[in-house]
Amino acid sequence: MADPVTERPTTAARQPGADAPPGAPKIEARGLRKVFSSRRGEVTAIDGVDFSAAAGEFISIVGPSGCGKSTFLYIVGGFVEATEGAVLVDGSPITGPDPARGIVFQEFVLFPWKTVMGNVTYGLARRGMPRAERRERARQLIDTVKLTGFERHFPKELSGGMKQRVALARTLIMDPDILLMDEPFGAIDAQTRVILQAELLQIWERTRKTVLFVTHSVEEALYLSDKVYVLSSRPARVKEVIEVDLPRPRDPEQIVGTEAYGRLHRRIWSLLQEEQVSDGDDR
Amino acid sequence: MATTAEAPRLAGSSASAASAIALPILSVATLLGLWELAPRIGLVRPTSVPPFSDVVAEVVTVLGRPEFLDNLGSSAQRWAAGFALAILIGVPLGTLMGRWRPLYNLVDPLLVVGYPVPKAALILIFVLWWGAGNVSRIGIIIVGCLIPIVISSYHGAHGIEPRLLWSARGLGIGRLGSWFRVILPAALPQILSGLRLAIAISIFTLLGSELLIRGDGIGAFMFTALDNGQTLVVFAMSTIVAVIGFLLDLLYVLAVRRGLPWLEGEV
Repeated sequence: MADPVTERPTTAARQPGADAPPGAPKIEARGLRKVFSSRRGEVTAIDGVDFSAAAGEFISIVGPSGCGKSTFLYIVGGFVEATEGAVLVDGSPITGPDPARGIVFQEFVLFPWKTVMGNVTYGLARRGMPRAERRERARQLIDTVKLTGFERHFPKELSGGMKQRVALARTLIMDPDILLMDEPFGAIDAQTRVILQAELLQIWERTRKTVLFVTHSVEEALYLSDKVYVLSSRPARVKEVIEVDLPRPRDPEQIVGTEAYGRLHRRIWSLLQEEQVSDGDDR
Repeated sequence: MATTAEAPRLAGSSASAASAIALPILSVATLLGLWELAPRIGLVRPTSVPPFSDVVAEVVTVLGRPEFLDNLGSSAQRWAAGFALAILIGVPLGTLMGRWRPLYNLVDPLLVVGYPVPKAALILIFVLWWGAGNVSRIGIIIVGCLIPIVISSYHGAHGIEPRLLWSARGLGIGRLGSWFRVILPAALPQILSGLRLAIAISIFTLLGSELLIRGDGIGAFMFTALDNGQTLVVFAMSTIVAVIGFLLDLLYVLAVRRGLPWLEGEV
């Protein structure tokens, strides 16, 4: 596990903090606005979101269904362009997708024509890394996500939870500074979800990547995060930023009973209750 | 396009499973039995419908004739050339249409107009343009195959989950690289379905062009037999062509299933 995480895959352009003053945020968004135009008119998805994440922070983003929280994540990923405002990473505006900002989606968007091994090494192939080295690094990542023995399986032969482990390994092998997760465990059964959450936390504690985690589960957000951004219903604005001051490492069963957890849970819940559930889906 | 062997079977009683095997055998056996008996008992003239067993015997004879094999060779070459060119034109065109709306808007009306045109009607026009040679024969195969190949490639490329493309882009794949590393493989299942349809059409157009243009090839060989009043040869040839078509389809399905183990569902 040490090797793929310590080695920096891309160029000097993304040396962390190279052109940013010390203590500057890892990710910063100022006045982010997103307007979608269609034949039926314009829809404002995001209206003036300010956001900031320090390096190594685990931040969850919660909000009512369809509020634009996934759109926010796609903008940070560089997949969707903001109408106004900019996203800065290490002080520089982003210009498009970059392996330094790895993303994991809710749906299992593995490459169906690739085996587990092929999916995990997918991003490395382009870098001209020798095949043996690619496979060796992939094996470490596959071990990290506990899929050893499934290297030659195709996605159609895997369960939902296993697919999501592959998606995580495929992203982690690029050693991103930032991990963007779009409701990654939303379509997974409850027991598997608990396991995957714990494993994600272990990986995060070891690698200290900056994580942006979109979820609609208040429990999940409180268990995982340092901070929770609560967004309003569409158009999304930041309603409140909640500091999650629960001590780590956290035991998911234990923290639920604590007074601090109950207070945070009630606070976030009441913020969400204030928002009318808007129509449309979460895209 | 599903052959009987692949028709979806409902899970149910063993009676329905048995009937799923027995009834197809019954219908085929009845047809062959009638084919054998009708000319033998004088219901039809043997010069119009030779008995099935005679046709089978003639098939064996024809398969051993060198002139048949020569004509089969000419037809196979035309078929391969037409089919390959249709793929080389159709797959890139359809895939580009799927990812670039202006090209779709440009080409789609031509497909809509061209779709119901019987391709056989174009053969004579091609002969006017390019003469009664291989250009016309291969041209008609290309035209016949192009529509299913273009349409299936279009749907395959158009329906790609955007997040699949984003996943690749997020892993450092550039826009150009995405064509070969995401769009084509992701569209492949639908492209392969279109090719299967095109195989059936290509045999039809090949035969059509050879029957009309004659010269050489299986179609011409058949027509000559008809001119000579060799009913049995005509029947034997038709049977051979039908079996070749069936085998091509079967081989195609088996090859795809074997070569692409990641594919979900049927071709």
